[in-house]
Amino acid sequence: MNWFIKRIGQGVFTIFTVASLTFVLIRVMPGGPAQQMVADMRQRQPSLSTEQLNVMAAQRIGVDLNRPIHEAYIDYMLNLAGGSLGQSIQYHPETVADIIARSLPWTAFVMSISLLFVFILGIGLGAIMAYKEGSKFDVGSSIIAIFLSSVPYYVAGVVLIYVLALELSLFPLNGRYPKGVDPGFTLEFIGGALYHVILPAASFVITTWGGFALGMRGNSVQVLGQDYIRVAKLRGLADRRIALRYVGRNAILPMWTSFLIQVGFMFGASIILEEIFSYRGIGYYMFDSIDNRDYPLMMGTFLVITVCVVIAVLVADMTYGKLDPRVEAGGKDESY
Amino acid sequence: MSTHETTQTNSTNVPEVTDPILEIRDAEVYFEMDRGVSRVLDNVSVDIERGEVLGIVGESGSGKSMLASALLDAVVDPGVLSGQVTYRPGDGSAIDVLGLEKEELRQLRWEDISMVFQGAMSSFNPTMKVGGHFEETLEAHDYDIDEGMERARELLADLYLEPERVLDSFPHELSGGMQQRALIALSVVLEPNVLVMDEPTAALDLLMQRSILTLLEDLKEKYDLTLVFITHDLPLIAELADRLAVMYAFELVEIGTSDEILNDAAHPYTRSLLNATPNLDAPLSEMQAIEGAAPDPVNVPTGCSYHPRCPLSDEECVAEDPAFRPTFTESHQVACFHWQDSAEVIPFNIDRPEAHEVDDE
Repeated sequence: MNWFIKRIGQGVFTIFTVASLTFVLIRVMPGGPAQQMVADMRQRQPSLSTEQLNVMAAQRIGVDLNRPIHEAYIDYMLNLAGGSLGQSIQYHPETVADIIARSLPWTAFVMSISLLFVFILGIGLGAIMAYKEGSKFDVGSSIIAIFLSSVPYYVAGVVLIYVLALELSLFPLNGRYPKGVDPGFTLEFIGGALYHVILPAASFVITTWGGFALGMRGNSVQVLGQDYIRVAKLRGLADRRIALRYVGRNAILPMWTSFLIQVGFMFGASIILEEIFSYRGIGYYMFDSIDNRDYPLMMGTFLVITVCVVIAVLVADMTYGKLDPRVEAGGKDESY
Repeated sequence: MSTHETTQTNSTNVPEVTDPILEIRDAEVYFEMDRGVSRVLDNVSVDIERGEVLGIVGESGSGKSMLASALLDAVVDPGVLSGQVTYRPGDGSAIDVLGLEKEELRQLRWEDISMVFQGAMSSFNPTMKVGGHFEETLEAHDYDIDEGMERARELLADLYLEPERVLDSFPHELSGGMQQRALIALSVVLEPNVLVMDEPTAALDLLMQRSILTLLEDLKEKYDLTLVFITHDLPLIAELADRLAVMYAFELVEIGTSDEILNDAAHPYTRSLLNATPNLDAPLSEMQAIEGAAPDPVNVPTGCSYHPRCPLSDEECVAEDPAFRPTFTESHQVACFHWQDSAEVIPFNIDRPEAHEVDDE
């Protein structure tokens, strides 16, 4: 139990550090949003004093520029602890939390679809490759897997858009769902959303499955060479049981951690991917905020991505012990 | 490989036993490799008496494990096994093990002839409880689960383990000795007649080796087992085995009762092997290594494969592979032309009172 508290504490500390760094960023960087906003407003409303402009800017950003940095920092952290991420400059008066709330589910949607297929393709093909080790299928799949793993997902995305959306018009160019369809639990909306998610998800799947397949292949080949597989065969167990309970389980287990770390990676990757597909997920808004110097939104989205990565790694750590009996004991008394 | 054509003569003469449970004839295992055919078991013929403990001794890479695997037709791919293995369950029938259909073989293994591998630590599925291994084995062979698990508990208790605790543990939660004993229990849970043990004590400390041997002796009596015990540790097995068979370069070179082998070893290799065995009673300086190295399975010397290392070898040994011949007794046979001279040329560096004591028990 102690171990769980410690791990959660580490996660909270990571988030705290990132929040602090983000804060320092906004205060220290020259030409930041505060100064820019004060300058903007001075042009529009020259009658106001610098004092008043600073107060107005502070209200909009959630940072008072006249206060000492440590006081402002405490204020900011208290706001953060209260769940307030401030207001967006660009989408004023919407709060950052609102924007994240309506964009995050879409990113999660792309990721779950991608991960599902990466897992199925990677694990399935990897296992078959291992069983047919050395065959033409194995060699061919390995070459394809290595090649596709070395293609960046955004290149795959651009190619997919160009070929399938632009040239062949098989898929929509951008967006999250068809225009004119109201979001809701209708077949039209869900079908449209699935149709729109195919290309962004495919960019991830095509460039990621290979790594998992090669990992699974390696693990399976290793497990297949273990004595306990030979003993299981001699004991007369059914092939199916050996494939699932013996090879499958022992080969997939080590993949679990890299699978969850992939979740973290995908959050980061969503920034560029969603920009390419104009897919209004959290990554799209982050890119947008960088473009428009919308620092509160940028901070907010960055923090959310950090939190998601930390949670993914935390979940990987905590569930591994439940999945692999050998790790449970390590979890109890500090194995690392 | 032309060098192997001359080795056929080895199998013509086999020490007879009165009631064989297993008869192995001309067992041969080879692997096709890039640099040639690797023959890792070369025309081995031996009979195993019902209820005996047969110790098979040889140095690493002499083909012992291949012989063990051959008894269950379980040679690993891409090894090719040929020859004849006949299993006699005791009801007058004879089963041609190598000619069995897949399903028949699946049943024969573990139900009639079972095996304990070297390295118990890697013989269990690490993500499955020990009890699960027993249950799935019973299930795969359509045995009654409750009855079988009852037997498993009794077996574990016989091996001085706490049945419930062991069955409810994951393999990594048990010590090496406990895993080894649990594996022995698992291998006899279907009540086989023959138990083949391939270096079952290799990874264990000396005390655990001794205690496992003692347990095996009890188990053998209680469950009426025939034991084939494969090891490189001659003094260890000498205490347990009724008969010993010595392997060199993928062939059997000598076979006899433990007493005969230990006191009157006739093959030069066996005598040198005994002289090379560490013994607490003998000073280290008395230990004699055997000069040279064991042959490469791709390129075994012509004639007697031991001739390059043998002080007795002459042209005959180079030209022809010696067949088994009886020595002082009919049960003690050796594949050597010059066995009568071996005692004189290779004297034992110590007396072996230890062995005598044990055999007199």
